[in-house]
Formats: sequence, structure tokens, C-alpha cells
Amino acid sequence: MDFGLIAQYLANGILLGTMYALVAVGFTLFFGVLDVIKFSHGDVLMLGTFIGFTAWMGLAAIGVTNPWVQLLGVLICSLGGTALIGAAIAKWLVLPLKKAPQLNTLLITLMLGTAIREAVRLFYPNGSNPKAFPALLPDAAVELGSFSLRADSVILVLAGLGLIGVLSLVINRTRLGLAIRAVAQDEETARIMGINYTLVVLATFAIGSGVAAFAGIMNGLYYNEINFGMGLILGLIGFSAAIIGGLGNLYGAILGGFLFAGLQVIGAALLPFASAYKDVFAFAVVIALMAWKPTGLIPERSSDRV
Amino acid sequence: MTDLPISSTAAAARPWAAGAAVIVTAGVYAWALLMAEETWQVTGLLVLAVAAVLAALKTGFARRLHQDWAASEPRLNRLAFAALIVLIFALSDAHFALLMVATTLLYFTAAMGLNIQFGFAGMANFAGAAFFGAGAYTAAVLGTVTAVPPLLTLAIGGAVALVLSLPLLLPILRTTGHYAAVVTIAFGVLFRTFLEVNEILGGPQGLMVAPMRLFGWDFNSAPVIGSYEMSFYVNYALLAAALAGLVFVLVRRLERSWIGLHMDAVRLDETAAACFGVPVARIKLTAFLLGNAILGVSGALYGMMISFIAPASFTFSDSLLLVSIVLLGGLGSLWGSAVAAAIVVLLPEKLQLLQEYRFLLFSILVMLVLLFRPDGILPRPLRTFFASRRAGK
Amino acid sequence: MKFNIGTKFHRIVLAAGACAGLACGTAATAKETVALGFIGPLTGGVSSVGLGGRNSAELAIRLRNADPAAKYSYELEALDDECKPNVGVQVATKLATNRKLAGAVAHYCSAVAMGTVDVYHRFGLPMTVWGAVLPDITYGNDYPEITRVNGTMINQNETAAKFMTGLGYKTFAIIHDTTDYGKGHNSYLSKFLAEDGATVVGAFGVSADQQDFTAELTQVKALNPDVVVYAGLTPGGVRVRQQMAKLGITAVFQGVSGIKSDAYFEGLGGDLAEGTLTFLEGAPAEKLPGGAFFLTEYEKAGFSTPPEAYGPFAFAAMNLLIDAVEAVGPDRKAIVEYMGTVKDHESITGLITFDDHGQNTVALITGYVAQDGKWVVWEDSDYAKGTRSLPAPK
Repeated sequence: MDFGLIAQYLANGILLGTMYALVAVGFTLFFGVLDVIKFSHGDVLMLGTFIGFTAWMGLAAIGVTNPWVQLLGVLICSLGGTALIGAAIAKWLVLPLKKAPQLNTLLITLMLGTAIREAVRLFYPNGSNPKAFPALLPDAAVELGSFSLRADSVILVLAGLGLIGVLSLVINRTRLGLAIRAVAQDEETARIMGINYTLVVLATFAIGSGVAAFAGIMNGLYYNEINFGMGLILGLIGFSAAIIGGLGNLYGAILGGFLFAGLQVIGAALLPFASAYKDVFAFAVVIALMAWKPTGLIPERSSDRV
Repeated sequence: MTDLPISSTAAAARPWAAGAAVIVTAGVYAWALLMAEETWQVTGLLVLAVAAVLAALKTGFARRLHQDWAASEPRLNRLAFAALIVLIFALSDAHFALLMVATTLLYFTAAMGLNIQFGFAGMANFAGAAFFGAGAYTAAVLGTVTAVPPLLTLAIGGAVALVLSLPLLLPILRTTGHYAAVVTIAFGVLFRTFLEVNEILGGPQGLMVAPMRLFGWDFNSAPVIGSYEMSFYVNYALLAAALAGLVFVLVRRLERSWIGLHMDAVRLDETAAACFGVPVARIKLTAFLLGNAILGVSGALYGMMISFIAPASFTFSDSLLLVSIVLLGGLGSLWGSAVAAAIVVLLPEKLQLLQEYRFLLFSILVMLVLLFRPDGILPRPLRTFFASRRAGK
Repeated sequence: MKFNIGTKFHRIVLAAGACAGLACGTAATAKETVALGFIGPLTGGVSSVGLGGRNSAELAIRLRNADPAAKYSYELEALDDECKPNVGVQVATKLATNRKLAGAVAHYCSAVAMGTVDVYHRFGLPMTVWGAVLPDITYGNDYPEITRVNGTMINQNETAAKFMTGLGYKTFAIIHDTTDYGKGHNSYLSKFLAEDGATVVGAFGVSADQQDFTAELTQVKALNPDVVVYAGLTPGGVRVRQQMAKLGITAVFQGVSGIKSDAYFEGLGGDLAEGTLTFLEGAPAEKLPGGAFFLTEYEKAGFSTPPEAYGPFAFAAMNLLIDAVEAVGPDRKAIVEYMGTVKDHESITGLITFDDHGQNTVALITGYVAQDGKWVVWEDSDYAKGTRSLPAPK
């Protein structure tokens, strides 16, 4: 295998890893504050991408042609809209089920995911067909032998990593982050300390969903194609990534995301002409990892209360 | 032991009448719904069901029913089984209705297997469709070998599902909660992808499955009584009913045994259970293997009935369908699973008139049920250690 | 099964139902009503094709009902197979056991059709396939009930291989989805390409709903073929073409009948789609007088989704079925016999002739090229005229 090919695999892996990490971060945040798994995450991501797509069409229709302005508009509409949707889901579907068995939250969000997916397919104009997402980033490319590095990929990876950095600052350095961490550690004590519990939960869901929408836009800008089913597999992978990293830990989610992308790329590279087996390989490794590290690579600090 | 004042005097007089009435009505209703073809009939019957349930809750009839069930469950269970057999014969020439009945029964059986895991031992299993499919694929492969009697195939289907769950034991026993969930999710995806990329088992194209044969009787030929020819699905519906009945008895016995009690303890608090000397690992292992074996057996019969299987039928979303039966019915509640299986199988089918909108409606309905009845349709009652009938009543 | 139903409520609604039944009974029509079935994927990833087919079949029925010369009035019973074999068997059983139903037009997904042909045979329901292309559906059995108006993937790939090698292309990389559809195309295309002296430098199986193809395409890039073939449906085709550009692969992109849909342009935009080649059985609808009629009528009927590539076949199949009912009456056995004798039957996709397996012997395969955001018949395109050119063979 020549250098160019290895570099290409590496570049692919880093881009995929950033995307998976952004999705996994949402799962880990929700689990942190509420101990719930919100399975509609992938479909909320898809919805956010479609909001962005609609915003782009609107901007193009009123005559805004500068791609950077368009991109800004797309990001504001998509992230803002999805954050609101995420908070709404928390308020009306997740919080009311707080007392019910955990599995109920899982099932209700799964069903919500199906409902979102079906609604987009049926009610978005021509929603059952893939849509061409605009290429808003410069597409200059550097060719090094068989390796081609494109400017848009680099920008996307940097932006994604930047967002993760900002998120980590918010969690670790701000008052809101302090409140989120407090609620994650002990809900009752946090309430006694005067933290507005509901507000913190809603804010967390808004942040997590906004980050997912960013991953969706990133997905759209990279593949230039979006469809109503894109959230399903991304959600599944993001969940697996959050788990192998260790739930409730920001760095675990990032590690898990890159690890999963790495497994897929290694699977595809080691099994040439049988690349269909790459998901079999990736998920088999996930099972083995769980046997080895039952609470993820960076385990959550918890003790069983008897 | 003195009689505890659980049952009211009215119920004590004939402590099964309300239950029996409901069983008979439900049988008639099921017949009407299965035979309904026109839009107005289906809509009318569905509205009727909702109205009746609401009325039963408001008038206190539901509570009376609950008491009946607690007081004389074995008798009512036998009556329900008899009603089911009558229903099957009442539908004896309606192929499609019988297919739906048999499918409901097999999904119910599979859900009982999952109930041991989710409801009793508190273990997540999101690969239900994979173990179900393992049984179906076993039936397909063994069907080509004529030496294996098909009835034995059902057992082997269960055994294969059990063997497939062995490699998962270590990660399953070491992990808990969502971490265990991801192990099974990964296995489900892996199972399906493997079948799809692998030519040996038919690839994505799928396999033909040979029909069931019992004592030389081919299940794909129609039973004839005199000059009256019944649908061949009667065979499958009856066998599915027998299987469901058998598994029902087995799981009920399990629930009432010390193993069931241990499972409850493990689910409610693993650490506390371990402190009291409950062998946590062995209990979880039992629940996981037994549940998957039941899934495999029901899958094998399902494969024979459908006669054609492909990986697309055993996806992650099919696993979720099975889980949603267990949750909708109420965790650990067998009768709840029965009702939920009927809803999950029949509703999308009866909603075919909504065509492409039916999944949207179905998911919204499930969400509403979960919001307003978070414990499921028929929540599992508390374990009655001092049931009045044991005290000689 | 146990439902919480009070007996008295039951009685009330049965009474209400009886009233409604009387009301319905009085509305008698002059003509006898015949029910005809349609099955296709109405939900899920390929639902756009299924909905296009359903609308086209419905159009055939509407047009015939508007015709005063028709002997019967027709109604459509359309069901969803979700592109899953087990659901397919379920809905096929539902149609086949409905005694009011005279015949059906069914299936886009080959795996589903393979599972259901036994059901139609068992219950003697005449069924005409409108979209599934796997040869075994008609050739794998001797069921007289099963017929097919569209061609199989054998004819399609034979023509495709001849055509591509005729343009001078020698090396091919095939990416196929791992469904029977993609795998079948892969094996037939490889076989015919080898016969025509070209080499397949690599074949990659991918799952049908895969999003990211960069791993496969990175290897394709190293192999440097003249042509990259995607054997699968539109969503995958859009992604492969898109990601080829990302990795700087300049080879010709060739698809199969599954990507010949308007959705391909909607997913890609015109520039990237430009120069994509694909092949489809039958004469192009807009070239035949009946085809132009179909497209205008479809437009007029105001359906919310386009007919897609296989809509004309669904229309033709439904029309053939209606013709059969008109000729021999709504009797299943008679219709099956009628189908066995169909020869040179006029339809909007060309003449229909069934061979002894019920397969329409359309030898005609049309090549299309994407030009300015539309599928253009190769012979009419700027590429054939020489004013535009595809990437040259290496």
C-alpha cells in the first residue's frame, strides 16, 4: 500500500471521526444530566439538516449569493431551530417520563424518531428523494500522488474540532457548565443549591441537539447529499461511539467517535474486495471492547448505592 | 391463614364472571376486526375499542376485572385458550385472517421470551429479531435435509439461538444498563450485515423454507372435514396456539418459582440481591439463554409459515418492534404482551387503508400510550404472596 | 386475545354498523365493480419509485373508468410491501385471498417478488410484475399466474456491455449494493464485459443504505479504471457519484436501470450528473405516441410525486390486466389463460409478448445519458452527435 492511499484513509477516518464524535457528544450530554438515552437524536439531526437546507433555498430565493453569508444563515437557522426542537422534546416527551422505567424514554424517543423521519418523507416537498445539498465551501484540492486533500474537508474538520473545543470550554469554564455538571452528579443536591433543574435540562438538550444539527450540516456539506434516512445510521453509530467511550464523559464520546471511524476505515482497508464486511468487523470489535471494558474506555465515576 | 380483604363480596360470589365475559367479547371482537374489510367497519371497530376501554376504566369495571384475574387466573387462562381455538375454527376459511392470528401468536411467544429478559431479570436485549431470525434460518437450512423431523427443527432452532448467544455472555454479564444494550444492538446489526454479505445462507436474496410436517401431515395442505375445505393456515394457527400456550405455562411457572423471585430481586437491585446470596450471574445467564431460545423456537415456526425469509426481515427495527410489544404491554406482564402483540401486528395491517401514512400514525399512537400509560397497557401486578385462593378459597 | 370491551357497547356499534351497511347498499352502480391489486414499496428508502408506480396504476384505472365503453368499473386496492419479503408475503396473501380481486400488478423489489410468487400460485391469482428485474422471478418457476412486462437484468447488461466496450472503454470497477438486484447486475455485467473483451478490475459490495463510500472509492482510485459502475438504486448512485468527485476520480460513471429517475438530478444537481450513462428496458416513453399520452395524463391527474422510471411499466401492466378483464371477465382462471396468449399487445412501453414463462420478450434496451439535468436517449444526445464528449478511455 502506498503512502497516498494510507494518507487518504487517514483523512477519511479523521473526517468521519469528527462527525461521529459530534453526534456522540449529544448522547453523552443527555445521559449525563438525565440518565436517559434519547434515540431520536439521529432523526433530530436529519431534521436540523433539512431546516438548514430550507434556509439555504430561502436565502437563494431572496437573492443572497455569497456562499459565506449563505453558510452563516444556514448555520443560524439550523442550529437555532434544532436547539428549540431539542428543548421541546425534553420538555414534553422526556421530562414527563422521568418517573417511568428508563426503557420507556428509549421507546418513546425511538417512536419520535420514526415519526420525524416519516413526517419529513411525507410532508417535505418530494421528501422521499435525496436532495442536493449545496457546496458552500471552497473546493480547491491539493493532489499529492494518489492523495487528494480538499479545502472543504480541512475546513469541516477544523470547524468540528473547534466546536468540540468550545463545548468543552462551556462545560468546564462557565456557570451553565457548572450547573450541568452539578445536575449530572446529583440532581437533588443541585436543586437544593438553587439550580433551576428544568432550565438546565432544557439547555442541555438544546446544546446537544444544536451540536447534532452542526454534524448534520457538516454531513450535508461534505457529501452534498441529504435524505430522510440519514439520521438512522448516524444515530446508531453515535450511540455506539458514546458507549464505547464511556457514557457521561465528553472526552469518552470524542474518543469513541474517532475509534469507531478508525475501525470502519481499518475494516475497509484490511478487507479489500470484501469491504461489505467492514460493519461486521466494527461491531464485532465493539462487542469485544464491551467485554474488556464493561463501562467504556473512560468509565463514568459511579458507585452503587445500596 | 386468614383471608385478606382483597376481594370484594360481589367478586367473591362468582369471581370469574367479568373475566369470562371479557374473554368471550374479545373473541367476538377479534373475529369482527379480522373479517372487517371496509374502511368504515375498521374505523368503527377501532373507535369502539377505545370507547370500551375508557368506559371500563371510568365505571370501575377494569378494577373488577383485575380482581377476577387475581382470584381465578388459571381458570380464565384456560377459557382464553379455548376461546382462541374457537376463534381459529371460526375463521377456518379466511386465509389472511388466520395468517394474522398465527403471526400475532408467534410475536406474542417471542415477546414472552423477551419478557423473561426485560421484565423479570431487567436485562436489555435489542437483538430480539436476530435470535428470532436465527431460528428461522435454522428452519430454512434444516428443511433441505429431509432426515430431520420438522418438529425437532423447532427445538434445534431454539438451540441455535442459544448457541449464538453464548459469545455474548461474557460482555452481557459484565455490563449493565445501556452498556448491555449496545452489546445487543451491535450483535443485531452484525447478524443482519453478516447474512447480507454472506452467500452461503442465500445472501440478501433470502432462502425458501420447507413447510412444517407433523406425523406425515404436510402443513401446506388444507385440512378437509367431509366436503368442507379449511385454509391450510389453520394448521399453523393451531400449532402457534399450542406453542404460545406451552410457553405461557412455562414462563408463568418460571415467574412463580424461586428462579423468578431471584430474577425480580436482580432486576430491582443487583447489589442488594448479591448481598442476600442470590447468584446474580447465574440468574442473568438463565434469563438471557432461556429468552433467546424461546425467540429461536418461535422464529423457526414463523419461517416455516412465511415460507420465505431474507435478512431484511430481521433488522434492528424489527428488534425494536419486539421490544415495543413488551413495553406497550407492560414490563413482565404476559397478558399485556398478548394484547400488545395483537395491536402491533394488526394495527399497521388494518391501517393499510392509510397507505404511506400508517407508520407515522402508528408511531404517534405508541407515543401517546407511553405518555398516558407509562406502565403499559396491562401493568404487571404486584407479586401476590398471600393469594386468597391459596388459603383454601 | 383479551380486550377490555363491554358487551353493551359492542351491541350498540353493531347496530350502528348495520345502518351504515344499508346506506351503502342502496348506492348501486350500473356497472359491476372489479377490484384490482397493486403492491409496491410505499414506505422506506425506495418509496419514491413505489409511489410513482402506484400513481401510474391508479391513473390506468381512472382513465378506464372514465371510458364509457368499458364493461366494468374498476377499483384499486394498493398495498405496501415495505421492500421486505415477510411483509410482502403478508400483503400478497391478503390480496390473493380477497375473492373480489381479479388480478394484481406487483413488486419493485426482487427479493420480495421471489418470496411472494408461491403465494400467487397457490391461490391462483394472476400477477404481473411491474418493476422487479431478477430473472428467476419468471424463469425460476413454471407458474402460469406470474407474468412480467418489464425486461430482466440479463438483456439490460448484455446491451450495456456491448455499448460501453463499443465506445472503447476497457477497464471497469463495479460498486454494487449487496441486494439481489445489485449482485445480479454485478454478475451479469461482469460476464458480458468479459465476453466483449473488457476487464473488471475490482468489484465492491456495499450495503444498500450506506452513506460513506470513500473507503471503497479510495481503492477504486488506486485501480484507475476507465469506467466506474454503480449497480444499485438512486440514493446510492447519487452518493457514489458525489464522492467520486470529492476524491478526484474522473472516470466515466455508469449506472443501471435503478438510477434512472428524476431523483438522481434532484440529489446531485446538474453539473455532477452530466455525462452519467444508464440503461433501461423498453422504448423511451416520450418516443411512443402512447407514452407521450401517459406523461400528459399523469401531469393532468395532479399526483404529488413523479412517475419515475418504472411508472410507465406499472401503467402498462395495469392496462394489460384491465384489457384481460374486459376480454374474458373478472375470472382468475380465465385471466391466467388470457395472459398465456398475450402476443404483440399494444402498450405505452412498446408491444408486449409473453414467452412460455410469462416473461415479456422485450429485446429493446435504451441507453440514456444525463445531459443538462435530464435523461436524454443516447442517440439524440450531444454526446452521440460529437458536440460534447465523455472522458476518454485511458
